[in-house]
Amino acid sequence: MLIPMLAELTGNVHVAAAAAGAAIGVGMIGMRASEAVGRNPGAATKILVQAILSTAFAEGIVFFAIFLVK
Amino acid sequence: MRTFLLFLVGVLGIAFAPLAFAAEGHAVAAPAGHAEHAEKEGIPLYAAPVAKFGPLVLTNSMVITWAVAILLIIGAQLAMRNVRMVPQGAQNFWEWLVEGLDDFLGGIMGADLARKTFWFFATLFILVLATNWAGLIPGVGSIGWGHPDENGHFHHFTTSLLRGANADLNMTLAMSLVFFACWIVWALQANGPGGFVMHIFGPKGDTTGIMKWGMIVVFLAVGVLEVVSIAFRPVSLSFRLYGNIFAGENMLETMATLVPGFGWLIPIPFYFMELLVGMVQALVFMLLTAVFTLLICSHDEEHAHEPAHGHAGEHKH
Repeated sequence: MLIPMLAELTGNVHVAAAAAGAAIGVGMIGMRASEAVGRNPGAATKILVQAILSTAFAEGIVFFAIFLVK
Repeated sequence: MRTFLLFLVGVLGIAFAPLAFAAEGHAVAAPAGHAEHAEKEGIPLYAAPVAKFGPLVLTNSMVITWAVAILLIIGAQLAMRNVRMVPQGAQNFWEWLVEGLDDFLGGIMGADLARKTFWFFATLFILVLATNWAGLIPGVGSIGWGHPDENGHFHHFTTSLLRGANADLNMTLAMSLVFFACWIVWALQANGPGGFVMHIFGPKGDTTGIMKWGMIVVFLAVGVLEVVSIAFRPVSLSFRLYGNIFAGENMLETMATLVPGFGWLIPIPFYFMELLVGMVQALVFMLLTAVFTLLICSHDEEHAHEPAHGHAGEHKH
């Protein structure tokens, strides 16, 4: 059942895959950042910087998938 | 005050940078955009030209970029016309903004480097933030002109007068390339030509004897990888900002037409999300460029030159 369904998939599958991966990555970054702020609220600004940078790198993949992969 | 003048010069420089790129990009970009727009709804991928002056083409995203830049310059000049010791009103706002950015950049890059490069990063942040938010003002992208069909009815317009500035790849690419040029200059100033090459290809860490020769080979290979990653930075910077803002505009448009009759209600939460995205992307653009600059300008060996409140973790890379 699953295999024929997968075989029928068309369209921009690579964008979907990149979006799924980026979403997982951003979620994990957010989770760990919240945990880190919970442990050490004084370092919130530094953690925010790291988290935003990592988030930017993670979500950048989607834009490569959209614009650069044909 | 000197910093402020530098800041204004920076705003001007960046605002006018897209001129050349827009004129150049138009030649190939516009016809494809028209063809694509004819068959599918939604925002065209490319900025549309609104006026032509000989070889120079004025696109709708340039209109808003210049409008925002001029407003920023006039606003800053008006606010700083009679400077008071205890700031009030507009002066207070601008001082809060500039001081906050100064503290923030100083915390990331160290006081010396932040002082030297502040004009660029503060300008980037303020300009990107202002253009992102200006693109959300109702009327931007929805006021324009179109052509009637055979029966004389207007269905949708083809050219909008204004377009979010960062929803144009020319603008974001121009900013990244300006940063790249500045980055090279700052790297050469901080390291010297030899030090610049050594910074990328040279071996790091303190190994001795035969291991050292192995390390030199390894770090030569690492340097090649680093050159590739550096060369890809302008691409990723420009696509990240363009993608986020363009996707946001497209999403707002989709949300407005999703459920018939509720086009006025459904986009509202997404407007708030776009406010947040505009802020975060401005921050990301400034942060990434600042960190790239820090990485190349920081010295591994000369620990004496580190700022007092140094960031030990950021010096190893």
